[in-house]
Amino acid sequence: MTELYSASGSKVHSHKADIFCRDETRVDWHSKALWVLREKRDRAAASIPEWEQLRQLGSELKLHTLTHLTDYLQQFEQQCQANGIVVHWYKDGQEHNQIVLNILAKHQVKRLVKSKSMLTEECHMNPFLEQHGIEVVDTDLGERIIQLAKMPPSHIVVPAIHMKKQEVGELFHQQLGTKKGESDPLYLTRAARAHLREKFLTADAAMTGVNMAIADKGAVVVCTNEGNADMGANLPKLQLHSMGIDKVVPNMDAAGVLLRTLARNATGQPVTTYSSFYRGPQQGGEMHVIIVDNGRTEMMKDKILAESLKCIRCGGCLNTCPVYRRSGGYSYNYTIPGPIGIAVGAQHDDTNSIPWPAPYVAVVLMYAQLRCH
Amino acid sequence: MSSKNSILSALKQSALTAHPMPVIDIEVTPQPLVDTFAASLATVAGELHQQGGLAALQAKVDELMAQGLQVLSLVEGVSGNRQVPNTAHELADIDYAILAGELGVAENGAIWVSQTQHRVTPFICENLILALPEKALVANMHQAVNQVSLAQGELGVFVADHLKRQILNKHWLWGRTVHAAFRCICISVIRR
Repeated sequence: MTELYSASGSKVHSHKADIFCRDETRVDWHSKALWVLREKRDRAAASIPEWEQLRQLGSELKLHTLTHLTDYLQQFEQQCQANGIVVHWYKDGQEHNQIVLNILAKHQVKRLVKSKSMLTEECHMNPFLEQHGIEVVDTDLGERIIQLAKMPPSHIVVPAIHMKKQEVGELFHQQLGTKKGESDPLYLTRAARAHLREKFLTADAAMTGVNMAIADKGAVVVCTNEGNADMGANLPKLQLHSMGIDKVVPNMDAAGVLLRTLARNATGQPVTTYSSFYRGPQQGGEMHVIIVDNGRTEMMKDKILAESLKCIRCGGCLNTCPVYRRSGGYSYNYTIPGPIGIAVGAQHDDTNSIPWPAPYVAVVLMYAQLRCH
Repeated sequence: MSSKNSILSALKQSALTAHPMPVIDIEVTPQPLVDTFAASLATVAGELHQQGGLAALQAKVDELMAQGLQVLSLVEGVSGNRQVPNTAHELADIDYAILAGELGVAENGAIWVSQTQHRVTPFICENLILALPEKALVANMHQAVNQVSLAQGELGVFVADHLKRQILNKHWLWGRTVHAAFRCICISVIRR
């Protein structure tokens, strides 16, 4: 399983897709499971009369922010500092990982609990910290599953979507000591809850990604369904939040628009279970926000690629795209798979192994762009 | 050059041309707020109790305590059997946390909760009961984000959607509320 779906080895999309397609049953339910999310999205969108207006507003406010990014980033930093938040700026993943390590080392952190962050995946932070003796515990259920299975995420919202419950049952049996042959989702979920509760309660620091950074408040917004970001960020006294420069939005009004579209697009929920606004450290605590470029300013030099930075990472294009649904997330040769991954990963595509051929792009445009934010 | 200056400098080469901030002028669909909120909350498996106000809430708390459950109340006028501990970690065995909800959002059933001391309280408890004041409902998130408090050093959170049944999805594991409170009960002091 691990070998079959490892991102290393084969170099081209079609070959990796071919590997995924050998198990037709898996391909079928993978496709159907994602289409269920897409259908839920459609129902959620249809329930809001002003949906198309919201999409337009979201697109324009993100474009506005990108075209005034210097101002908003600086305003965000100033407001954060006024709230007692330490702000760091770094050019690339290597610098990002080093400062995270430095902060953790200063506080003698042995265990870091982490909620979902595609940026830290992009920066390959986990292996770097682990090499330096820090235990990194991914706490999103899907992320924890793939971490235990030593796999990367195959989807940006549902990272273990490629795994069947029986496979998770076997993995948990081996790693967490659950009963052999048991694959009841409730049983497995409870086992994961107990396992991760102990990690939360004994963590020395927490790290989260950032869904939005509100410039005029100096606050970061973290959206999860599981409460894992908040369990982490509010138990240990040290909280870190890593964000790409593209995550800043001007104000609460902008956040209101994006919060109405994010979860509806992602899973068809009206809003994520927890939409948390952090405007400073907890009493006696320390809060760091790490702003990272990692190629985004390069993308900004290209008009088409720059527009892809409007993305709010709902994953809707993955759920929609028939190629993604039937080729799997590991066929894309980039941390972020699917249509949006092709765009935001283009600059990292030194080996030309990301699927750019014309027919693919045509399909992407036809099926995904129409559904994009 | 510092990384910050390097990033700000690189941004000057952006190919994008300035775009104005759009005017966010979504019209509010006329709707009965309480009914819409109740319907949204039901959709996301929350419970809304509208009768009896804080007295009914205290009666519920008394019932829970009689069962030997650990109840922490931060709502004035409602008493539990646990006091606010010295450390957040000591909240790990709280069965029910009773907190004040500041604002309810009719379109999605979300309730704004802000927390300064022991910010983990709404998440670490097994069950969460939110007391929502009368008239604290708005139609949508546009109104909500402009009315919520978010003081310096504060965590404010929209809590919504405890859709437990999704965990039982037959195809795959769905981690909704896997770590935090399993159930959200909204005791509202709204009286019709």
